[in-house]
Amino acid sequence: MTVWIACLNLLFSFFKIGLFGFGGGYAMMSMIMTESMGFGVTVQQLADLNALDMVVPGPIAINAATYVGYLAGGFWGAFAGTLGVMLPSFILIALVMRFLNAYKQNRIMSGFLSGVKPGAVGLIAAAALTIAVGILFVPGTTWQTFWADPFHSFSFLLTGVFIITAVLNIRFRVNPILLTVIAGIVGAIWLR
Amino acid sequence: MEQKVQKTSATQRGTLQALFVIFFKAGTFTFAGGLAMLPVIEKDIVDKYALLDKETFLEYATLAQTIPGVIALNCAAFVGQRVAGVKGMLAAGLGSTLSAFVLMLLATIAIQFIPQTGPFMGAMQCIRAASSALILSAAFSLGRHNLKSAFSILLMLAALSLVLLFQISAPIVILLTGCAGYAYQRILLQKRGDAA
Repeated sequence: MTVWIACLNLLFSFFKIGLFGFGGGYAMMSMIMTESMGFGVTVQQLADLNALDMVVPGPIAINAATYVGYLAGGFWGAFAGTLGVMLPSFILIALVMRFLNAYKQNRIMSGFLSGVKPGAVGLIAAAALTIAVGILFVPGTTWQTFWADPFHSFSFLLTGVFIITAVLNIRFRVNPILLTVIAGIVGAIWLR
Repeated sequence: MEQKVQKTSATQRGTLQALFVIFFKAGTFTFAGGLAMLPVIEKDIVDKYALLDKETFLEYATLAQTIPGVIALNCAAFVGQRVAGVKGMLAAGLGSTLSAFVLMLLATIAIQFIPQTGPFMGAMQCIRAASSALILSAAFSLGRHNLKSAFSILLMLAALSLVLLFQISAPIVILLTGCAGYAYQRILLQKRGDAA
């Protein structure tokens, strides 16, 4: 019984993500993050999701719905989450096709999107920083413990990997899959 | 639309099949996001199966990005609906998402079997650190396209701080930034109108 309630919750959560998900997969990441944490998914698992996204083909939001749905409710959870994130597209496009000319001519949407697009950049950055803080800092770190003993409240190696990966990918456009593989090797050698 | 009705059910089934196959193929062989699929889909829809002309396809591809949700799915739904109605929309839509669902399900099950000890644990920890850096880098690459005015940078910073400092939920931030964008565009248009 509780499984079905979890599935309904997943359906509803991912329906919301689909309905407000302007600007594609990464823009939805922030919503996916907060909704998933409501289902008990950890930041570590969300970082794993992003790593899997690179090797599993297909749209990011579908991958995320399947992943979070499976973690929260098994196969039917994955099914409910994926169905949920798809439904708004079907409903909205059936509506838009009925009023296609009116939709193309309206100015409200283009104005709205001109604000949403830069906003989405901020949302993705927020998602990245939230996940990064959860991974780089020692569990249980608060502002107080950080100021009391800053050098023992985060991992130097992980922070190094984070900064180097960010710089190599943003500045030098090094292939993300290659960077992930290198990070894995570094971790297997140093953190064992 | 009349032409579509007159077609026999056999050719309609053929069209639905073609829609499913085109989007299934695009969904299976493209990595890291829906937009990468568009050129692949365009070639099949326009050249190979001649379901739509190029102009119409590109119009739908653009519209797909103005609708919330998965962009590749929106594109599939637009094309499918136009070519074969609601059935076409479902055929194309399922095609575009089926392989992502199946493969991600297998990957999610597989990842549970990775041992959480020794070198595996270390590798996973570093992969997670790299992976969160790559999400940040996604923000940067999107920013290169979307942050071209002082106003857009302001909106980006506003969204960032609303989420991080005030724990405002993302849907509300999206609505707020959208309304701000609309208001700003209205003001710009009015100014231009006054100048003319």
